Amino acid sequence: MSFALWTMILYSGLMSWYLRDMEATIVDLEVGDLQVHALDYRDDPSLHTRIDDAEALLQQLRAAGYRATARLLAHGLAAADESSAGVAFFGIDVPSDAQVSLVHEHLLEGSWLDPADSHGVVLGRRLARMLAVDPGEEIVVLSQGTDGAMAADLFNVRGILENVGPEVDRGGVFMPAATFRELFVLPTGVHQIVVRRPADTELDVAAEAVRAAASGLDVRTWRDLMPTLASFMDSARGALVMMVVIVYVAIAVLVLNAMLMTVFERIRELGVLKALGVSPGGILGLMFAEMVIVTAMAIALGVALGAPTLHYLATEGFELTSLAGTSVMGVAMSSTWHADMSAETFAVPIGVLILIVTLATSYPALKAAFIDPVRAIHHR
Amino acid sequence: MESHSPVVVCKEVTRVYRQGSQEVHALRGLNMEVAVGEFTAICGPSGSGKTTLLNVIGALDRPSGGQVLLEGRDLAALSQRERSHLRRDRIGFVFQAYNLMPVLTAYENAEMVLALQGVDIEERRERVEGLLADVGLAGMEHRTPDELSGGQQQRVAIARAIAADPAVVLADEPTANLDSENATNLLDIMEQQNRERRVTFLFSTHDPRVMERARRIVRVVDGRVETDERRT
Ligand SMILES: Nc1ncnc2c1ncn2[C@@H]1O[C@H](COP(=O)(O)OP(=O)(O)O)[C@@H](O)[C@H]1O
Ligand SMILES: [Mg+2]
Repeated sequence: MSFALWTMILYSGLMSWYLRDMEATIVDLEVGDLQVHALDYRDDPSLHTRIDDAEALLQQLRAAGYRATARLLAHGLAAADESSAGVAFFGIDVPSDAQVSLVHEHLLEGSWLDPADSHGVVLGRRLARMLAVDPGEEIVVLSQGTDGAMAADLFNVRGILENVGPEVDRGGVFMPAATFRELFVLPTGVHQIVVRRPADTELDVAAEAVRAAASGLDVRTWRDLMPTLASFMDSARGALVMMVVIVYVAIAVLVLNAMLMTVFERIRELGVLKALGVSPGGILGLMFAEMVIVTAMAIALGVALGAPTLHYLATEGFELTSLAGTSVMGVAMSSTWHADMSAETFAVPIGVLILIVTLATSYPALKAAFIDPVRAIHHR
Repeated sequence: MESHSPVVVCKEVTRVYRQGSQEVHALRGLNMEVAVGEFTAICGPSGSGKTTLLNVIGALDRPSGGQVLLEGRDLAALSQRERSHLRRDRIGFVFQAYNLMPVLTAYENAEMVLALQGVDIEERRERVEGLLADVGLAGMEHRTPDELSGGQQQRVAIARAIAADPAVVLADEPTANLDSENATNLLDIMEQQNRERRVTFLFSTHDPRVMERARRIVRVVDGRVETDERRT
């Protein structure tokens, strides 16, 4: 029982961290909690489909406690020496973007954007490798501006990102918004607003609030934007619950069996007790008292084993060097796997264990309580 | 006043066991009375109904017909709960074997009925220590049953049965698992308790040497009293 509890504590700690980490990666690095676009933008992402009055919306959202930033998006080509690649340009407002996204903290080499350095850009990891450029080197960027003319310029690579998400890894080119506007001849409007909700606001509630503020615009949650991932995570949570249920059913069967054996082995003792005038309630009490003692010891041992292991995993984690840089369904994995350690990680397995054990004890205890003393004493 | 009325009265007691379609008539209209302070053996061949009779008198089993009175109370009129309290408060039981709780010491086994009655710990100690000494177990209070011989275990059971001053001690073949020396020893103790404390004993046996010690011998055959003999 202790071992099962230990396993459950570790397993739920690890899985809960894993799923939280995955969600955090998506939300922190890729899409944010919510995104706002002009109505047609997601069907036809064009430089011309813009949110016109972004500033008013941003201020309204920030006043309501949300963190939000505007981004400019475009596609084009980047080239260095002999190689070139299709890229996605992100024109960002450097200070407010840092409030919303953690991309700026995930640099592999070099440094993040500086609004003062109008020709400095930051590249996704695989793009940099494809172009064979290092920080300090130059790339040529080609695209088409809103005026229809060729937009081309020479940029300095300031930094290269770690793995953050497949789109950015393969073709992300980050630049300050002002540089973007100049390159693409785009004086006003933005393409995307990325929103982060306050920690105590549910995603659905946040979506409603943002929709109310952004009338006439397309508002999506990260779950809408990444439905396969969202459902993968839901089913992973479901699997976690299933796994836990199976283990607890196994415990229930073991306890039931052990208690029935106990009743059978002590049938004469139970008969004598009843003959001497112990009431059914008294026998129930004895059976449960025994179970409480055994379970309390199992819990103490399970926690004594689980807490240090989980603490180690929560603080140190275990190295997944072999997995570093890989991704699960397009979500970058962290290189160390940690565990969550909270009251809940312990309380839920312990609570369920107590419930299960109580249920599993009830039947044998009732059987013992209502035993016929004559038959029990003469049982052979 | 109570000492003149019998402790146990059985009137036309029957007990029929049903086993599938078969009926076994274990008691067939049995009549007997037991007075306060008696030392009575119930004897008879195996299968004659001795155990059944003691179970019925001890409120462990219900008769199929007839009436059983304990200190004048009709057992048939009692609820399950009242029967359980009656057993605890008015009857002492000694079974053939496996009387004691193996996890408890001799002392704890002996004080169990008093503890169930809610007698406080000091009074329990007073009564039980003296009793264990009387049955020859002084110094063995802290042994568990597996550290005691079969004879010693039965003596603990006697101590437990009489600790709460019951109206009657019912003992079903208490010496059946003992050698003759231990059997004699146990009978000595029972006799002594009967003499010194006026404890009423009703015990079954089919051992002639045990019968010899009784002052009254009720012979049961085929679920009826065949002979009832008092000796001086
Ligand atoms: N639980 C029972 N079910 C069916 N028959 C029983 C049961 N207990 C006793 N009997 C039968 O009742 C009769 C009397 O048994 P019992 O009172 O044990 O006799 P004794 O104790 O004198 O040996 C026997 O024929 C026995 O087989
Ligand atoms: Mg018998």
